[in-house]
Amino acid sequence: MVVGQQARKAMLGECPKKVARLIDLVNLPSNLREFAGGQSQMAHLSFFIRVWSHIKTHNLQDPNNKNLVNCDDKLKSILLGKTQVELSKLPMLINLHFPKPSK
Amino acid sequence: MGKLPPSLRSAKLPLPFHKPPPSPSPPSPSTPLSQSPSPPERSVFFRSPLKKPKKPSKTPRGTLNPSPPPPQQHVFRSPLLSDAISTFDALAASSPSSLDPTSLLQSFCNAGASPADALSFLRHISPSLAPGRASFHVLLGHSCLHHSAPDPASVLDLMSDNGSPPDAASADLAVRALCSADRLDDACVLLRDRLASAADRFTYNFLVRRFARFRPISTVYALIKELRGVGLQPDVVTYTNLIDAVCRGRNLREATRLLGMLADAGFKPDCYVYNVIMKGYCMVDQYGEVMEVYNRMKDEGIEPDLVTYNTLVYGLSKAGMLTQAKKFLNVMADMGHFPDVVTYTSLMGGMCRKGDALGALKLLEEMEEKGCNPNECTYNTLLMGLCKSKCLDKGMQLYQEMIAKAMKLENATYATFVRALCRANKIAEAYEVFDYAIDSKSLTDVTAYMALENSLKWLNKAKVINEIRADSILQIRLLAN
Repeated sequence: MVVGQQARKAMLGECPKKVARLIDLVNLPSNLREFAGGQSQMAHLSFFIRVWSHIKTHNLQDPNNKNLVNCDDKLKSILLGKTQVELSKLPMLINLHFPKPSK
Repeated sequence: MGKLPPSLRSAKLPLPFHKPPPSPSPPSPSTPLSQSPSPPERSVFFRSPLKKPKKPSKTPRGTLNPSPPPPQQHVFRSPLLSDAISTFDALAASSPSSLDPTSLLQSFCNAGASPADALSFLRHISPSLAPGRASFHVLLGHSCLHHSAPDPASVLDLMSDNGSPPDAASADLAVRALCSADRLDDACVLLRDRLASAADRFTYNFLVRRFARFRPISTVYALIKELRGVGLQPDVVTYTNLIDAVCRGRNLREATRLLGMLADAGFKPDCYVYNVIMKGYCMVDQYGEVMEVYNRMKDEGIEPDLVTYNTLVYGLSKAGMLTQAKKFLNVMADMGHFPDVVTYTSLMGGMCRKGDALGALKLLEEMEEKGCNPNECTYNTLLMGLCKSKCLDKGMQLYQEMIAKAMKLENATYATFVRALCRANKIAEAYEVFDYAIDSKSLTDVTAYMALENSLKWLNKAKVINEIRADSILQIRLLAN
Protein backbone atom coordinates (compact mmCIF):
# COMPACT_ATOMS: atom_id res chain seq x y z
CA MET A 1 0.00 0.00 0.00
CA VAL A 2 2.92 2.33 0.71
CA VAL A 3 4.39 1.63 -2.68
CA GLY A 4 1.06 2.50 -4.24
CA GLN A 5 1.07 5.89 -2.58
CA GLN A 6 4.58 6.56 -3.79
CA ALA A 7 3.67 5.59 -7.30
CA ARG A 8 0.71 7.92 -7.24
CA LYS A 9 2.88 10.78 -5.98
CA ALA A 10 5.38 10.05 -8.73
CA MET A 11 2.62 10.18 -11.31
CA LEU A 12 1.39 13.51 -10.00
CA GLY A 13 4.93 14.84 -9.84
CA GLU A 14 5.42 14.38 -13.54
CA CYS A 15 4.09 17.32 -15.43
CA PRO A 16 2.03 15.97 -18.31
CA LYS A 17 3.32 18.68 -20.63
CA LYS A 18 6.89 17.64 -19.98
CA VAL A 19 6.06 14.02 -20.63
CA ALA A 20 4.28 14.95 -23.83
CA ARG A 21 7.27 16.96 -25.00
CA LEU A 22 9.41 13.86 -24.55
CA ILE A 23 7.23 11.29 -26.25
CA ASP A 24 5.35 13.21 -28.93
CA LEU A 25 6.60 12.79 -32.47
CA VAL A 26 8.11 15.93 -33.93
CA ASN A 27 9.41 16.80 -37.36
CA LEU A 28 13.17 16.42 -37.28
CA PRO A 29 15.34 19.20 -38.73
CA SER A 30 17.07 18.07 -41.91
CA ASN A 31 20.50 17.70 -40.32
CA LEU A 32 19.20 15.10 -37.87
CA ARG A 33 17.38 13.01 -40.40
CA GLU A 34 20.43 11.17 -41.62
CA PHE A 35 21.30 10.13 -38.07
CA ALA A 36 17.74 9.03 -37.43
CA GLY A 37 18.04 6.54 -40.25
CA GLY A 38 16.12 8.58 -42.74
CA GLN A 39 13.07 9.05 -40.54
CA SER A 40 11.53 12.48 -40.77
CA GLN A 41 9.70 12.26 -37.43
CA MET A 42 10.94 11.07 -34.07
CA ALA A 43 10.24 11.70 -30.41
CA HIS A 44 12.76 13.53 -28.28
CA LEU A 45 13.21 10.55 -25.99
CA SER A 46 13.68 7.99 -28.74
CA PHE A 47 16.21 10.26 -30.37
CA PHE A 48 18.16 10.48 -27.10
CA ILE A 49 18.09 6.71 -26.67
CA ARG A 50 19.23 6.32 -30.26
CA VAL A 51 22.21 8.58 -29.70
CA TRP A 52 23.14 6.77 -26.50
CA SER A 53 22.89 3.35 -28.09
CA HIS A 54 24.98 4.64 -31.00
CA ILE A 55 27.66 5.60 -28.48
CA LYS A 56 27.47 2.18 -26.87
CA THR A 57 27.50 0.10 -30.02
CA HIS A 58 30.44 1.98 -31.54
CA ASN A 59 32.43 2.09 -28.25
CA LEU A 60 32.80 5.83 -28.41
CA GLN A 61 33.35 6.34 -24.70
CA ASP A 62 36.90 7.42 -23.90
CA PRO A 63 38.69 4.35 -22.50
CA ASN A 64 40.49 6.42 -19.85
CA ASN A 65 37.50 8.42 -18.75
CA LYS A 66 34.17 6.80 -19.37
CA ASN A 67 32.42 10.11 -18.79
CA LEU A 68 33.78 11.48 -22.05
CA VAL A 69 32.63 10.62 -25.53
CA ASN A 70 34.90 10.85 -28.57
CA CYS A 71 32.56 11.75 -31.36
CA ASP A 72 32.69 10.04 -34.71
CA ASP A 73 31.62 11.87 -37.84
CA LYS A 74 28.02 10.90 -37.43
CA LEU A 75 27.86 12.24 -33.88
CA LYS A 76 29.75 15.38 -34.82
CA SER A 77 27.06 16.20 -37.33
CA ILE A 78 24.43 16.37 -34.64
CA LEU A 79 26.43 17.54 -31.61
CA LEU A 80 27.51 20.96 -32.89
CA GLY A 81 30.65 19.56 -34.52
CA LYS A 82 32.46 18.89 -31.25
CA THR A 83 35.19 16.27 -31.21
CA GLN A 84 34.65 15.38 -27.57
CA VAL A 85 31.61 15.85 -25.36
CA GLU A 86 30.94 15.11 -21.72
CA LEU A 87 28.34 12.46 -21.14
CA SER A 88 26.71 14.74 -18.58
CA LYS A 89 26.14 17.41 -21.26
CA LEU A 90 24.53 14.98 -23.67
CA PRO A 91 20.87 15.63 -22.70
CA MET A 92 21.40 19.39 -22.96
CA LEU A 93 23.05 19.12 -26.36
CA ILE A 94 20.17 17.04 -27.63
CA ASN A 95 17.68 19.44 -26.06
CA LEU A 96 19.04 22.11 -28.40
CA HIS A 97 17.50 20.25 -31.33
CA PHE A 98 14.16 19.99 -29.58
CA PRO A 99 13.35 23.55 -28.54
CA LYS A 100 10.43 24.26 -26.26
CA PRO A 101 7.46 25.38 -28.31
CA SER A 102 7.08 29.13 -27.99
CA LYS A 103 3.72 30.28 -26.74
CA MET B 1 1.61 -5.01 3.03
CA GLY B 2 -1.32 -7.30 3.43
CA LYS B 3 -2.92 -6.80 6.77
CA LEU B 4 -6.21 -8.48 6.13
CA PRO B 5 -7.46 -11.29 8.23
CA PRO B 6 -6.55 -14.64 6.74
CA SER B 7 -10.18 -15.56 6.39
CA LEU B 8 -10.61 -12.68 3.97
CA ARG B 9 -7.38 -13.33 2.17
CA SER B 10 -8.53 -16.76 1.22
CA ALA B 11 -11.60 -15.21 -0.34
CA LYS B 12 -9.70 -13.30 -2.98
CA LEU B 13 -7.11 -15.85 -3.91
CA PRO B 14 -6.72 -15.77 -7.65
CA LEU B 15 -7.73 -19.29 -8.49
CA PRO B 16 -8.44 -20.50 -11.96
CA PHE B 17 -12.11 -20.62 -12.77
CA HIS B 18 -12.29 -24.26 -13.62
CA LYS B 19 -10.45 -26.24 -11.05
CA PRO B 20 -9.44 -29.79 -11.75
CA PRO B 21 -11.43 -32.45 -9.87
CA PRO B 22 -11.19 -31.74 -6.16
CA SER B 23 -8.65 -33.31 -3.90
CA PRO B 24 -10.20 -35.12 -0.92
CA SER B 25 -8.96 -32.56 1.64
CA PRO B 26 -10.79 -29.24 1.70
CA PRO B 27 -8.30 -26.48 0.89
CA SER B 28 -9.90 -23.80 3.03
CA PRO B 29 -12.21 -24.02 6.01
CA SER B 30 -13.67 -20.59 5.34
CA THR B 31 -16.08 -21.49 2.55
CA PRO B 32 -18.04 -24.57 3.43
CA LEU B 33 -19.67 -25.16 0.10
CA SER B 34 -20.43 -28.22 -1.85
CA GLN B 35 -18.28 -29.03 -4.78
CA SER B 36 -19.42 -28.95 -8.32
CA PRO B 37 -17.02 -31.22 -10.11
CA SER B 38 -15.70 -29.80 -13.31
CA PRO B 39 -13.38 -31.53 -15.72
CA PRO B 40 -9.84 -30.25 -16.14
CA GLU B 41 -10.32 -27.39 -18.46
CA ARG B 42 -8.04 -27.11 -21.44
CA SER B 43 -10.23 -25.31 -23.87
CA VAL B 44 -8.51 -23.35 -26.56
CA PHE B 45 -11.60 -21.37 -27.41
CA PHE B 46 -12.60 -19.79 -24.19
CA ARG B 47 -10.59 -18.66 -21.24
CA SER B 48 -12.75 -17.39 -18.48
CA PRO B 49 -11.46 -14.34 -16.63
CA LEU B 50 -13.38 -15.33 -13.54
CA LYS B 51 -11.62 -16.26 -10.37
CA LYS B 52 -13.74 -18.89 -8.80
CA PRO B 53 -13.96 -19.17 -5.04
CA LYS B 54 -12.41 -22.11 -3.35
CA LYS B 55 -14.96 -24.81 -3.15
CA PRO B 56 -13.89 -27.59 -0.87
CA SER B 57 -15.55 -30.92 -1.36
CA LYS B 58 -17.27 -31.17 1.95
CA THR B 59 -20.44 -33.07 1.36
CA PRO B 60 -21.43 -34.20 -2.06
CA ARG B 61 -25.13 -33.52 -2.18
CA GLY B 62 -27.99 -34.18 -4.53
CA THR B 63 -27.41 -36.41 -7.51
CA LEU B 64 -23.78 -35.47 -7.60
CA ASN B 65 -21.45 -38.16 -8.80
CA PRO B 66 -18.77 -38.75 -6.12
CA SER B 67 -16.14 -40.14 -8.46
CA PRO B 68 -14.28 -37.64 -10.63
CA PRO B 69 -15.95 -37.28 -14.01
CA PRO B 70 -14.32 -38.91 -17.00
CA PRO B 71 -12.07 -36.61 -18.99
CA GLN B 72 -14.38 -35.14 -21.60
CA GLN B 73 -12.85 -31.72 -21.87
CA HIS B 74 -12.43 -31.85 -25.61
CA VAL B 75 -15.89 -33.09 -26.44
CA PHE B 76 -17.20 -29.87 -27.91
CA ARG B 77 -15.14 -27.62 -30.08
CA SER B 78 -17.85 -25.43 -31.50
CA PRO B 79 -19.98 -22.90 -29.61
CA LEU B 80 -22.94 -23.69 -31.87
CA LEU B 81 -25.93 -25.41 -30.29
CA SER B 82 -26.68 -27.60 -33.32
CA ASP B 83 -23.13 -28.98 -33.42
CA ALA B 84 -23.21 -29.74 -29.72
CA ILE B 85 -26.54 -31.55 -29.95
CA SER B 86 -25.37 -33.75 -32.84
CA THR B 87 -22.10 -34.55 -31.04
CA PHE B 88 -24.05 -35.43 -27.93
CA ASP B 89 -26.45 -37.67 -29.82
CA ALA B 90 -23.54 -39.53 -31.39
CA LEU B 91 -21.91 -39.95 -27.98
CA ALA B 92 -25.13 -41.09 -26.34
CA ALA B 93 -25.60 -43.71 -29.06
CA SER B 94 -22.08 -45.14 -28.68
CA SER B 95 -21.35 -45.08 -24.93
CA PRO B 96 -24.32 -43.82 -22.93
CA SER B 97 -22.97 -45.03 -19.55
CA SER B 98 -19.83 -42.92 -19.48
CA LEU B 99 -21.62 -39.60 -20.00
CA ASP B 100 -21.74 -37.06 -17.21
CA PRO B 101 -24.12 -34.11 -17.68
CA THR B 102 -21.93 -31.71 -15.67
CA SER B 103 -18.76 -32.23 -17.63
CA LEU B 104 -20.65 -32.17 -20.92
CA LEU B 105 -22.22 -28.86 -20.01
CA GLN B 106 -18.93 -27.50 -18.77
CA SER B 107 -17.23 -28.48 -21.98
CA PHE B 108 -19.94 -26.79 -24.02
CA CYS B 109 -19.63 -23.60 -21.94
CA ASN B 110 -15.86 -23.67 -22.33
CA ALA B 111 -16.24 -23.88 -26.07
CA GLY B 112 -17.75 -20.40 -25.89
CA ALA B 113 -21.46 -21.15 -25.94
CA SER B 114 -23.85 -18.39 -24.95
CA PRO B 115 -25.82 -18.93 -21.72
CA ALA B 116 -29.06 -19.31 -23.71
CA ASP B 117 -27.53 -22.08 -25.82
CA ALA B 118 -26.15 -23.76 -22.71
CA LEU B 119 -29.65 -23.73 -21.21
CA SER B 120 -31.16 -25.25 -24.36
CA PHE B 121 -28.43 -27.88 -24.38
CA LEU B 122 -29.19 -28.78 -20.77
CA ARG B 123 -32.86 -29.12 -21.70
CA HIS B 124 -31.89 -31.38 -24.60
CA ILE B 125 -29.79 -33.76 -22.52
CA SER B 126 -31.97 -33.77 -19.41
CA PRO B 127 -34.36 -36.55 -20.56
CA SER B 128 -31.51 -39.05 -20.92
CA LEU B 129 -29.17 -37.72 -18.20
CA ALA B 130 -30.63 -36.22 -15.07
CA PRO B 131 -28.78 -32.97 -14.38
CA GLY B 132 -27.67 -32.61 -10.76
CA ARG B 133 -27.02 -29.53 -8.69
CA ALA B 134 -23.51 -29.39 -10.06
CA SER B 135 -24.78 -29.08 -13.63
CA PHE B 136 -27.01 -26.21 -12.61
CA HIS B 137 -24.07 -24.55 -10.90
CA VAL B 138 -22.08 -24.66 -14.12
CA LEU B 139 -24.99 -23.02 -15.89
CA LEU B 140 -25.44 -20.50 -13.09
CA GLY B 141 -21.80 -19.48 -13.12
CA HIS B 142 -21.85 -19.20 -16.88
CA SER B 143 -24.96 -17.05 -16.99
CA CYS B 144 -23.61 -14.76 -14.23
CA LEU B 145 -20.50 -14.10 -16.30
CA HIS B 146 -22.40 -13.03 -19.38
CA HIS B 147 -24.78 -10.16 -19.71
CA SER B 148 -27.08 -11.81 -22.19
CA ALA B 149 -30.20 -13.80 -21.32
CA PRO B 150 -31.06 -16.01 -19.48
CA ASP B 151 -30.33 -14.02 -16.40
CA PRO B 152 -29.22 -15.89 -13.27
CA ALA B 153 -32.67 -15.63 -11.70
CA SER B 154 -34.20 -17.90 -14.37
CA VAL B 155 -31.50 -20.50 -13.73
CA LEU B 156 -32.42 -20.35 -10.05
CA ASP B 157 -36.09 -20.92 -11.00
CA LEU B 158 -35.04 -23.92 -13.04
CA MET B 159 -33.10 -25.31 -10.10
CA SER B 160 -36.10 -25.04 -7.78
CA ASP B 161 -38.33 -26.69 -10.40
CA ASN B 162 -35.96 -29.63 -10.73
CA GLY B 163 -35.94 -30.40 -7.03
CA SER B 164 -32.56 -28.95 -6.12
CA PRO B 165 -33.28 -25.50 -4.68
CA PRO B 166 -30.36 -23.07 -4.51
CA ASP B 167 -28.16 -23.58 -1.46
CA ALA B 168 -25.28 -21.64 0.08
CA ALA B 169 -22.93 -22.80 -2.65
CA SER B 170 -25.26 -21.54 -5.38
CA ALA B 171 -25.53 -18.16 -3.66
CA ASP B 172 -21.78 -17.90 -3.26
CA LEU B 173 -21.13 -18.94 -6.83
CA ALA B 174 -23.65 -16.50 -8.25
CA VAL B 175 -22.51 -13.52 -6.17
CA ARG B 176 -18.84 -14.07 -6.82
CA ALA B 177 -19.36 -14.64 -10.53
CA LEU B 178 -21.45 -11.47 -10.80
CA CYS B 179 -18.86 -9.48 -8.86
CA SER B 180 -16.02 -10.67 -11.04
CA ALA B 181 -18.02 -9.63 -14.08
CA ASP B 182 -18.32 -6.15 -12.50
CA ARG B 183 -22.04 -6.54 -11.95
CA LEU B 184 -22.10 -5.43 -8.33
CA ASP B 185 -25.62 -4.06 -8.45
CA ASP B 186 -26.97 -7.22 -10.07
CA ALA B 187 -25.28 -9.25 -7.36
CA CYS B 188 -26.91 -7.09 -4.69
CA VAL B 189 -30.37 -7.42 -6.23
CA LEU B 190 -30.02 -11.18 -6.73
CA LEU B 191 -28.86 -11.71 -3.17
CA ARG B 192 -31.63 -9.56 -1.75
CA ASP B 193 -34.52 -10.92 -3.81
CA ARG B 194 -33.65 -14.53 -4.43
CA LEU B 195 -30.87 -15.88 -2.27
CA ALA B 196 -31.29 -14.18 1.10
CA SER B 197 -32.30 -17.38 2.85
CA ALA B 198 -29.65 -19.56 1.21
CA ALA B 199 -26.68 -17.20 1.48
CA ASP B 200 -24.20 -17.61 4.30
CA ARG B 201 -21.85 -15.21 6.06
CA PHE B 202 -19.04 -15.64 3.56
CA THR B 203 -21.15 -14.62 0.61
CA TYR B 204 -22.56 -11.66 2.51
CA ASN B 205 -19.16 -10.44 3.68
CA PHE B 206 -17.68 -10.93 0.26
CA LEU B 207 -20.31 -8.69 -1.29
CA VAL B 208 -19.94 -6.03 1.41
CA ARG B 209 -16.19 -6.06 0.96
CA ARG B 210 -16.51 -5.64 -2.77
CA PHE B 211 -18.89 -2.73 -2.28
CA ALA B 212 -16.63 -1.13 0.32
CA ARG B 213 -13.73 -1.40 -2.09
CA PHE B 214 -15.34 0.17 -5.11
CA ARG B 215 -18.23 2.29 -3.90
CA PRO B 216 -18.56 5.25 -1.53
CA ILE B 217 -19.18 4.34 2.06
CA SER B 218 -22.75 5.70 2.05
CA THR B 219 -23.68 3.16 -0.65
CA VAL B 220 -22.27 0.40 1.52
CA TYR B 221 -24.39 1.53 4.47
CA ALA B 222 -27.44 1.48 2.20
CA LEU B 223 -26.56 -2.05 1.10
CA ILE B 224 -26.19 -3.24 4.68
CA LYS B 225 -29.52 -1.68 5.57
CA GLU B 226 -31.21 -3.34 2.61
CA LEU B 227 -29.75 -6.74 3.39
CA ARG B 228 -30.68 -6.37 7.04
CA GLY B 229 -34.28 -6.18 5.83
CA VAL B 230 -34.00 -9.72 4.41
CA GLY B 231 -32.36 -11.14 7.50
CA LEU B 232 -28.65 -10.77 6.81
CA GLN B 233 -26.96 -9.07 9.75
CA PRO B 234 -23.47 -7.58 9.79
CA ASP B 235 -20.91 -9.37 11.98
CA VAL B 236 -17.38 -8.66 13.20
CA VAL B 237 -15.87 -9.44 9.81
CA THR B 238 -18.25 -7.02 8.12
CA TYR B 239 -17.28 -4.25 10.51
CA THR B 240 -13.60 -5.07 10.05
CA ASN B 241 -14.02 -4.70 6.32
CA LEU B 242 -15.85 -1.42 6.74
CA ILE B 243 -13.21 -0.01 9.08
CA ASP B 244 -10.54 -1.09 6.63
CA ALA B 245 -12.36 0.62 3.79
CA VAL B 246 -12.78 3.94 5.61
CA CYS B 247 -9.16 3.81 6.79
CA ARG B 248 -8.13 3.39 3.18
CA GLY B 249 -10.01 6.60 2.49
CA ARG B 250 -8.13 8.20 5.40
CA ASN B 251 -11.34 8.79 7.28
CA LEU B 252 -10.37 8.03 10.86
CA ARG B 253 -13.40 9.73 12.36
CA GLU B 254 -15.75 7.37 10.54
CA ALA B 255 -13.56 4.47 11.64
CA THR B 256 -13.94 5.52 15.27
CA ARG B 257 -17.69 5.75 14.82
CA LEU B 258 -17.76 2.26 13.32
CA LEU B 259 -15.78 0.99 16.27
CA GLY B 260 -18.48 2.38 18.52
CA MET B 261 -21.15 0.72 16.36
CA LEU B 262 -19.30 -2.56 16.63
CA ALA B 263 -19.38 -2.35 20.41
CA ASP B 264 -23.08 -1.33 20.36
CA ALA B 265 -23.92 -4.33 18.22
CA GLY B 266 -22.52 -6.51 21.00
CA PHE B 267 -19.34 -7.66 19.28
CA LYS B 268 -15.99 -7.76 20.94
CA PRO B 269 -13.20 -6.42 18.73
CA ASP B 270 -10.77 -9.18 17.79
CA CYS B 271 -7.21 -9.24 16.59
CA TYR B 272 -8.17 -8.42 13.01
CA VAL B 273 -10.13 -5.34 14.02
CA TYR B 274 -7.14 -4.03 15.89
CA ASN B 275 -4.81 -4.84 13.01
CA VAL B 276 -6.98 -2.80 10.71
CA ILE B 277 -7.03 0.10 13.18
CA MET B 278 -3.27 -0.03 13.51
CA LYS B 279 -2.95 0.03 9.76
CA GLY B 280 -5.36 2.96 9.68
CA TYR B 281 -3.12 5.01 11.93
CA CYS B 282 -0.17 4.20 9.69
CA MET B 283 -2.21 5.32 6.67
CA VAL B 284 -2.83 8.76 8.18
CA ASP B 285 0.81 9.14 9.22
CA GLN B 286 0.14 8.87 12.95
CA TYR B 287 2.72 6.19 13.40
CA GLY B 288 3.21 6.80 17.10
CA GLU B 289 -0.37 5.66 17.79
CA VAL B 290 0.37 2.02 16.94
CA MET B 291 1.93 1.54 20.35
CA GLU B 292 -1.29 2.67 22.05
CA VAL B 293 -3.35 0.27 19.97
CA TYR B 294 -0.97 -2.51 20.93
CA ASN B 295 -1.28 -1.63 24.61
CA ARG B 296 -5.06 -1.63 24.33
CA MET B 297 -4.93 -5.07 22.76
CA LYS B 298 -2.84 -6.31 25.62
CA ASP B 299 -5.21 -4.77 28.16
CA GLU B 300 -8.12 -6.59 26.58
CA GLY B 301 -6.16 -9.82 26.49
CA ILE B 302 -6.18 -10.26 22.75
CA GLU B 303 -3.39 -12.32 21.29
CA PRO B 304 -1.48 -10.34 18.62
CA ASP B 305 -0.54 -12.20 15.44
CA LEU B 306 2.27 -11.80 12.93
CA VAL B 307 0.42 -9.06 11.07
CA THR B 308 0.01 -7.10 14.30
CA TYR B 309 3.70 -7.28 15.01
CA ASN B 310 4.65 -6.39 11.46
CA THR B 311 2.38 -3.35 11.52
CA LEU B 312 3.73 -2.39 14.91
CA VAL B 313 7.36 -2.61 13.78
CA TYR B 314 6.48 -0.72 10.62
CA GLY B 315 4.77 2.07 12.55
CA LEU B 316 7.48 2.35 15.18
CA SER B 317 10.19 2.40 12.52
CA LYS B 318 8.41 5.15 10.65
CA ALA B 319 7.99 7.11 13.87
CA GLY B 320 11.70 6.77 14.49
CA MET B 321 11.34 4.70 17.66
CA LEU B 322 13.91 2.19 16.55
CA THR B 323 15.00 0.83 19.92
CA GLN B 324 11.41 -0.11 20.65
CA ALA B 325 10.96 -1.60 17.20
CA LYS B 326 14.06 -3.76 17.64
CA LYS B 327 12.80 -4.86 21.04
CA PHE B 328 9.70 -6.23 19.37
CA LEU B 329 11.77 -8.52 17.16
CA ASN B 330 12.58 -10.49 20.29
CA VAL B 331 9.10 -10.15 21.75
CA MET B 332 7.50 -11.58 18.63
CA ALA B 333 9.99 -14.43 18.45
CA ASP B 334 9.14 -15.24 22.09
CA MET B 335 5.47 -15.32 21.18
CA GLY B 336 6.17 -17.79 18.41
CA HIS B 337 5.88 -15.38 15.48
CA PHE B 338 9.23 -15.24 13.77
CA PRO B 339 10.10 -11.97 12.08
CA ASP B 340 9.70 -12.28 8.32
CA VAL B 341 10.93 -10.27 5.40
CA VAL B 342 8.27 -7.60 5.99
CA THR B 343 9.39 -7.08 9.57
CA TYR B 344 13.03 -6.78 8.64
CA THR B 345 12.37 -4.49 5.70
CA SER B 346 10.28 -2.13 7.85
CA LEU B 347 13.03 -2.01 10.42
CA MET B 348 15.68 -1.42 7.76
CA GLY B 349 13.59 1.39 6.32
CA GLY B 350 13.47 3.01 9.76
CA MET B 351 17.20 2.66 10.24
CA CYS B 352 17.92 4.09 6.80
CA ARG B 353 15.67 7.03 7.53
CA LYS B 354 17.73 7.69 10.66
CA GLY B 355 20.88 7.60 8.55
CA ASP B 356 22.09 4.27 9.88
CA ALA B 357 22.31 2.51 6.53
CA LEU B 358 25.33 0.48 7.56
CA GLY B 359 23.39 -0.86 10.53
CA ALA B 360 20.61 -1.79 8.12
CA LEU B 361 23.13 -3.62 5.97
CA LYS B 362 24.21 -5.60 9.02
CA LEU B 363 20.58 -6.44 9.64
CA LEU B 364 20.42 -7.85 6.10
CA GLU B 365 23.23 -10.27 6.96
CA GLU B 366 21.50 -11.16 10.19
CA MET B 367 18.23 -11.93 8.45
CA GLU B 368 19.94 -14.01 5.78
CA GLU B 369 21.68 -15.96 8.55
CA LYS B 370 18.29 -16.69 10.05
CA GLY B 371 17.13 -18.10 6.75
CA CYS B 372 14.86 -15.23 5.76
CA ASN B 373 15.32 -14.28 2.12
CA PRO B 374 15.27 -10.58 1.26
CA ASN B 375 12.97 -9.47 -1.54
CA GLU B 376 12.90 -6.65 -4.02
CA CYS B 377 11.49 -4.22 -1.50
CA THR B 378 14.29 -4.98 0.96
CA TYR B 379 16.97 -4.32 -1.60
CA ASN B 380 15.33 -1.12 -2.79
CA THR B 381 15.01 0.19 0.77
CA LEU B 382 18.64 -0.60 1.49
CA LEU B 383 19.97 0.84 -1.76
CA MET B 384 18.15 4.09 -1.20
CA GLY B 385 19.36 4.26 2.40
CA LEU B 386 22.96 3.61 1.38
CA CYS B 387 22.84 6.31 -1.30
CA LYS B 388 21.34 8.81 1.09
CA SER B 389 23.91 8.20 3.80
CA LYS B 390 26.73 8.56 1.27
CA CYS B 391 27.86 4.93 1.24
CA LEU B 392 27.82 4.77 -2.54
CA ASP B 393 30.42 1.98 -2.77
CA LYS B 394 28.29 -0.36 -0.68
CA GLY B 395 25.29 0.76 -2.66
CA MET B 396 26.95 -0.20 -5.93
CA GLN B 397 27.81 -3.62 -4.53
CA LEU B 398 24.20 -4.06 -3.52
CA TYR B 399 23.11 -2.90 -6.97
CA GLN B 400 25.28 -5.61 -8.56
CA GLU B 401 23.55 -8.18 -6.35
CA MET B 402 20.21 -6.82 -7.51
CA ILE B 403 21.26 -7.19 -11.14
CA ALA B 404 22.36 -10.75 -10.46
CA LYS B 405 18.95 -11.51 -8.99
CA ALA B 406 17.17 -9.63 -11.81
CA MET B 407 15.36 -7.39 -9.33
CA LYS B 408 13.54 -4.26 -10.36
CA LEU B 409 14.31 -0.77 -9.17
CA GLU B 410 11.63 1.36 -7.59
CA ASN B 411 11.17 4.90 -8.76
CA ALA B 412 12.50 6.66 -5.65
CA THR B 413 15.43 4.28 -5.35
CA TYR B 414 16.37 4.78 -8.98
CA ALA B 415 16.25 8.56 -8.72
CA THR B 416 18.30 8.62 -5.52
CA PHE B 417 20.85 6.19 -6.91
CA VAL B 418 21.31 8.10 -10.15
CA ARG B 419 21.64 11.38 -8.27
CA ALA B 420 24.26 9.90 -5.97
CA LEU B 421 26.21 8.51 -8.93
CA CYS B 422 26.16 11.87 -10.72
CA ARG B 423 27.26 13.62 -7.58
CA ALA B 424 30.23 11.25 -7.39
CA ASN B 425 30.95 12.08 -11.05
CA LYS B 426 30.20 8.53 -12.17
CA ILE B 427 28.18 9.62 -15.16
CA ALA B 428 28.87 6.49 -17.20
CA GLU B 429 27.61 4.33 -14.35
CA ALA B 430 24.51 6.48 -14.08
CA TYR B 431 23.84 5.85 -17.77
CA GLU B 432 24.24 2.11 -17.15
CA VAL B 433 21.68 2.26 -14.35
CA PHE B 434 19.41 4.14 -16.74
CA ASP B 435 19.78 1.30 -19.24
CA TYR B 436 19.14 -1.33 -16.58
CA ALA B 437 16.01 0.43 -15.36
CA ILE B 438 14.60 0.42 -18.87
CA ASP B 439 15.76 -3.09 -19.79
CA SER B 440 14.40 -4.63 -16.60
CA LYS B 441 11.13 -2.74 -17.16
CA SER B 442 11.38 -1.22 -13.68
CA LEU B 443 10.31 2.18 -14.91
CA THR B 444 8.93 3.71 -18.04
CA ASP B 445 11.62 5.28 -20.18
CA VAL B 446 10.09 8.72 -19.60
CA THR B 447 10.43 8.45 -15.82
CA ALA B 448 13.92 7.04 -16.10
CA TYR B 449 15.04 9.72 -18.51
CA MET B 450 13.57 12.58 -16.52
CA ALA B 451 15.37 11.50 -13.35
CA LEU B 452 18.64 11.18 -15.25
CA GLU B 453 18.23 14.53 -16.97
CA ASN B 454 17.40 16.27 -13.70
CA SER B 455 20.45 14.84 -11.97
CA LEU B 456 22.71 15.88 -14.83
CA LYS B 457 21.17 19.34 -14.95
CA TRP B 458 21.82 19.70 -11.26
CA LEU B 459 25.40 18.49 -11.73
CA ASN B 460 26.13 20.96 -14.49
CA LYS B 461 24.66 23.81 -12.50
CA ALA B 462 26.81 22.87 -9.53
CA LYS B 463 29.88 22.78 -11.78
CA VAL B 464 29.16 26.25 -13.11
CA ILE B 465 28.68 27.60 -9.61
CA ASN B 466 31.96 26.06 -8.50
CA GLU B 467 33.77 27.58 -11.46
CA ILE B 468 32.35 31.01 -10.69
CA ARG B 469 33.34 30.61 -7.08
CA ALA B 470 36.89 29.57 -8.03
CA ASP B 471 37.10 32.49 -10.41
CA SER B 472 36.00 34.96 -7.81
CA ILE B 473 38.42 33.59 -5.23
CA LEU B 474 41.18 33.95 -7.80
CA GLN B 475 40.15 37.51 -8.54
CA ILE B 476 40.05 38.40 -4.87
CA ARG B 477 43.52 36.97 -4.42
CA LEU B 478 44.78 38.91 -7.42
CA LEU B 479 43.23 42.08 -6.08
CA ALA B 480 44.75 41.46 -2.68
CA ASN B 481 48.14 41.08 -4.25
